[in-house]
Amino acid sequence: MGEILLKVKDLNKAFGKVVTARDLNFEIEAGVLTSIIGPNGAGKSTLINVLTGLLPLDSGHILFKGEDITGLPTYQRVRRGLCRSFQVVNVFPELSVFENVEIPVLAQMKKAGHIFRPVVKEKAVAQQVMEILERTNLAGEAAVIASALSHGDQRLLEVGIALAAKPSLLFLDEPTAGMNPVERVDILKHIRRISASGETTFVIVEHDMDIVFSLSDRVMVLNRGDIICDGGPDHVKGDKQVRECYLGEEVVA
Amino acid sequence: MSTKATYAIYLGIIAGLAALGLLGDRFMVYMGMRVMLLAIFALGYNLLLGRTGLLSFGHGALYACGSYSMALVNLHLTQDPLLGILAGVAMAALFSLIVGFFCVRNTEIYFAMLTLAFGMMIFSLIWNLREITGGDDGLVGISRGSVFGLPIVKDGQFYFLVLFFFGLTLWLVHRIRSSAFGLVLAGIRENHQRTSFAGIPVKRYRLAAFVVSGMFAGLAGSLGAMLQYNTDPFSAHWSHSAEPVLVSLIGGLQTFSGPLAGSVVFVVLREIIERYTQNWMLWFGIILLAIIMGLRGGVMGGLEKRLRQRAATRKGGE
Amino acid sequence: MLESIVHVCLAGLSQGMFIWLVASGLTLIFGVLGVLNFAHGAFYMLGAYFCYTVLAALGDNFWLGLIFGPLFVCAVGFLVERYFLRYVYHLDLPYQLLLTFAFVLIFDDLVKIVWGAGSISSPTVPGLGGSVSIMGRMFPTYSLFIIAVGPLVALGLWAALERTWAGRIIRAASSDREMAAALGAKVPWIFTGVFVFGVWLGALGGGLAVPYVGLLTPGMGESIVIEAFVVAVIGGLGSLKGAFFGALIIGLLSSFGTRFLPSFDMFLTFILMALVLLWRPQGFFGEASR
Repeated sequence: MGEILLKVKDLNKAFGKVVTARDLNFEIEAGVLTSIIGPNGAGKSTLINVLTGLLPLDSGHILFKGEDITGLPTYQRVRRGLCRSFQVVNVFPELSVFENVEIPVLAQMKKAGHIFRPVVKEKAVAQQVMEILERTNLAGEAAVIASALSHGDQRLLEVGIALAAKPSLLFLDEPTAGMNPVERVDILKHIRRISASGETTFVIVEHDMDIVFSLSDRVMVLNRGDIICDGGPDHVKGDKQVRECYLGEEVVA
Repeated sequence: MSTKATYAIYLGIIAGLAALGLLGDRFMVYMGMRVMLLAIFALGYNLLLGRTGLLSFGHGALYACGSYSMALVNLHLTQDPLLGILAGVAMAALFSLIVGFFCVRNTEIYFAMLTLAFGMMIFSLIWNLREITGGDDGLVGISRGSVFGLPIVKDGQFYFLVLFFFGLTLWLVHRIRSSAFGLVLAGIRENHQRTSFAGIPVKRYRLAAFVVSGMFAGLAGSLGAMLQYNTDPFSAHWSHSAEPVLVSLIGGLQTFSGPLAGSVVFVVLREIIERYTQNWMLWFGIILLAIIMGLRGGVMGGLEKRLRQRAATRKGGE
Repeated sequence: MLESIVHVCLAGLSQGMFIWLVASGLTLIFGVLGVLNFAHGAFYMLGAYFCYTVLAALGDNFWLGLIFGPLFVCAVGFLVERYFLRYVYHLDLPYQLLLTFAFVLIFDDLVKIVWGAGSISSPTVPGLGGSVSIMGRMFPTYSLFIIAVGPLVALGLWAALERTWAGRIIRAASSDREMAAALGAKVPWIFTGVFVFGVWLGALGGGLAVPYVGLLTPGMGESIVIEAFVVAVIGGLGSLKGAFFGALIIGLLSSFGTRFLPSFDMFLTFILMALVLLWRPQGFFGEASR
């Protein structure tokens, strides 16, 4: 058993009459690669948005490493080690790949506020940035403007920016969305490798079943704001309710 | 361009301006000062607009904070110009902190409108508090005194004080732009949501950018009051905030040298047009149209692009 | 005391309706095109000058001036949208603002060249030039006329947008450009049309201003466009209903301010604007997420 990183207590969130989270209670354990799946409109994206501070919740509590972070602004959560990537490419388009990763590294090393020291003199920062670019296989593209990257590389950069904040818990929101099969296999390889290195615990929010079952230690199935199933991939695969509401023909086929 | 080359170019500019101060006639000297004051204002302003991506209509009021604080200190307390300038910059910083605290909660058009509202509040205070600010006459009778025993009464002497602060601004803004802070500001411009997910308190950085650019406005304002020997209530009007926007746009929003080139073009062009026609606004409007429709990156942006293209083709040819 | 309050209210109402006439076009253009049109004040000024010229040419007939004057301004507006504004819709806010600002500079100087730099005093309107007695004090008839015109314009706009086919298309185009284009609506032409119509509203305001402000000066549009900005912001950018009530609030506030706190009239207006922006950035009637 690893340390409990995230603890969600009685979380509720609704948009008008549409309930996207109903009395959710769950924990995320360090070192366990967890996936959250569910059909469209199940409340997956809303859940990440609430947990990372992009949206306010209606009621409930979020504890991170034992500390109540329910009301904290986004950057405070990031500083405590809770970060995310985005479903659509969400990088700094006109900055270089290096600079894209440099911003979170500067923040993480508490050097973002240096106002007169040239940023090129921050050797420790540059070293860290290159390390992350190597881990995400982008070292060769360091000087390229982000908007000029291929879509697959932009997705990798997306993960790289999130990793640069040195999170202990990282939500990946559909990391393979819009990728071709080759890129998809590639990024999964990277995620598995980084996950195995142990610094960061991943929670993957996905649509694609193959990814979820091949990668995860634990799968949570969300439907209309409720957790309808939670357990190992095999357990979830065999669950009747999950089959009915969501997997259905996909698994049978 | 390497840092050394950049510094060499700016040293060249300073040297050229120093030569102008020594050799130029009264008119040239006066024009030189006007260009430098506008450049100080615009270089600072562009940290907010070009770097952080925030359009402010309140910087005229911050300029006026500098002017009036300088003038009040000069008329009532001490004629030491450096203390006056210090007071001007400090007061502009204080006001930008207060105004900025409220304004940075919003972005885009709502930010612009909020700065307009606060700027116009300051304008109406200056306009109506006659006993303190002189109302529509402004404050008159500012004296320049001397700096460390060197007299700066004549324009030819005052010029070098302006040149000193111009050089200082150039250096400071360059340092800020190449610092970690400057990179984070560019990140906020590109994607403020992602910046907060990088662990950056975005509002606080926006506020810092606002205050820093407000301090340069205050510096320009206090020097401007000394140049004209009086303060102008209309410098607080929102339309005065449009000046650095125009200048940055003419020169190029995203480049460091943009506001510099823009200031020269703005002041010189205005002088030339006014010499030949009565309708300076008409011609300036037309030029502005041409710039927006044609040269979207501004003069320096266009040049930079041209250079980059040439470098790229050269590389491709090898 | 009571009659004084009544008169201050009436003055506020007429001032408010007058600002509404200008703010309506500004708001319509922002709502549909997403452009904050600095030049709106310049169109207002052009409206005033063209109306003046037409009415002077047609034997001092104010009504003919009011009908034909704004049409000339519409032609100018058409050229501005078709050949310039259209190319900056996709650019950042500063570029759009500065493009319209460039037209302010150009039109202000053109007016100086054509009509002279001095101010022109305007004629009175036959039948509306006098004053009527309200509770024992005289009140200008023309101001009462403006108070009546404002709601009429509001009603007409509402009917045009809610009850006609063109209005439905305009609303569709403003809420979702791509969808409207897919439905076959010619979005660029809708934009041109809306811009020209907004310009017409501004020019009409200018025409109506001819007897109201009494003096025509180059640059007369600059203060009113800022007031219209304030009104549009308070009501909620893009919301016509908001602009109408915003104009009433600002008219009354400035009228009471002038009467009781003459030095802080402008201060009050802008502090109200700031408070609204801080408390409810979308304004009183704006949609929550824009």
